[in-house]
Amino acid sequence: MNSTASSAGLVLSAAGATPATAPRVEIDGLTLAYGRQPVLQDLQWRLHAGQVVGLLGRNGAGKTTLLEAMLGLRDTSAGSVQLFGQPVARLDDATRARIGYVPQQSDLFEELRADELLTYFRSFYPRWNETKVQGLLQRWEVPLGMPIGRMSGGQQQRLSLIRALAHEPELLVLDEPVASLDPLARRDFLRELVEQVLDRGTTVVFSTHILSDLERVAFNVAFLREGRISLQSPLDELLDETRLLVGPEALLAQLTQVEVLSRHPGRRLVRRLDEDTLAPGLVAQRANLEDLFEALT
Amino acid sequence: MDTPIQFQINTGSAEPIYRQLMDQLRRRVAAGQWRAGQELPSVRELALLLAVHPMTISKAYSLLEIEGLLERRRGLPMVIAAWHAKPAAARDRIEQLMPTLKRAAAETRELGIPKTQAIELFASLLDAPDPGAPQ
Repeated sequence: MNSTASSAGLVLSAAGATPATAPRVEIDGLTLAYGRQPVLQDLQWRLHAGQVVGLLGRNGAGKTTLLEAMLGLRDTSAGSVQLFGQPVARLDDATRARIGYVPQQSDLFEELRADELLTYFRSFYPRWNETKVQGLLQRWEVPLGMPIGRMSGGQQQRLSLIRALAHEPELLVLDEPVASLDPLARRDFLRELVEQVLDRGTTVVFSTHILSDLERVAFNVAFLREGRISLQSPLDELLDETRLLVGPEALLAQLTQVEVLSRHPGRRLVRRLDEDTLAPGLVAQRANLEDLFEALT
Repeated sequence: MDTPIQFQINTGSAEPIYRQLMDQLRRRVAAGQWRAGQELPSVRELALLLAVHPMTISKAYSLLEIEGLLERRRGLPMVIAAWHAKPAAARDRIEQLMPTLKRAAAETRELGIPKTQAIELFASLLDAPDPGAPQ
């Protein structure tokens, strides 16, 4: 491993981890259950300006529930959520206008046409980038002349994305946003996100199963497991610092002085391994995002 | 005519994107394809072009600046540093390639791919058009 790169990397990320401004999202002790089934348990989370955070978790881990609770759309049994320093249940209109949300299931008014819908929403927001809206409508081939209810699922989701980008929010919450986009439109969409980060320091949190998209734009990844954010870290540090150790279980069980992130029979995902002291018989491999996903979710 | 400065990134790799960018720049400079004084795209331009987070680009640029490969100039694009006017000696370049080749060799053995087939594959990759070469 290149020591210059890793030591300087720590310096840079340490600077990025202590921003001067208050967090955009502050979640403390968030607890939520469906009946007796706990979904979120005493969850802590902070999101800062300019961060693009990929939220990773298995199906059913509660990603959608977490994103909805973050926006105040779910009843919680304990804990608090603050957005821009305000309790989520009592956001003022100006703060609401700083938030954009694209749910997994499109929630648009089905009787309206796309142009009518956008005109309607435009009236709520002090800021509205009509040039961007027109450009995206054209590039993403959203039909303007038919009721939304008759559009395809993909067209509805693209319209939903355009609606969420139109008022240039400073907090953008995206639940599986790209499933309906073809690769070209996806790249286009990721560029929109990057532009928002550059121009406005927009905070973006998104869940997706398309890891390659995440890898490009998400500087940070957060893993949701057993109701908590089990790990959040800059992705490049995770890739630099973690190794997949493979070998006989007897040797793996004796590992000391290394942070073990996950255990599977015959395999460990470890952080900050000193490869020189590795027991003969164990093999250390570099991990990619897919390996991390498998081990940490 | 200078070789245009263009970067490619591979997702799904164990190599973080900032290091992919650094390695590409080191190799192109060592080969003398990117020369002293050539201007780099701004963080903004490259982040938008590649659709990656701007911090990833600035991290790569800053580390390359620390290594002395890039020079920052106030208010102007970064450039390849002056002392890299000439390509590195062939031996140095080979040294840079060795870790990648060793890794490829290890994976080839692990996957049980015959030597002749692996060498053929490598040769065909070398013959494929170079996406970063002058048009």
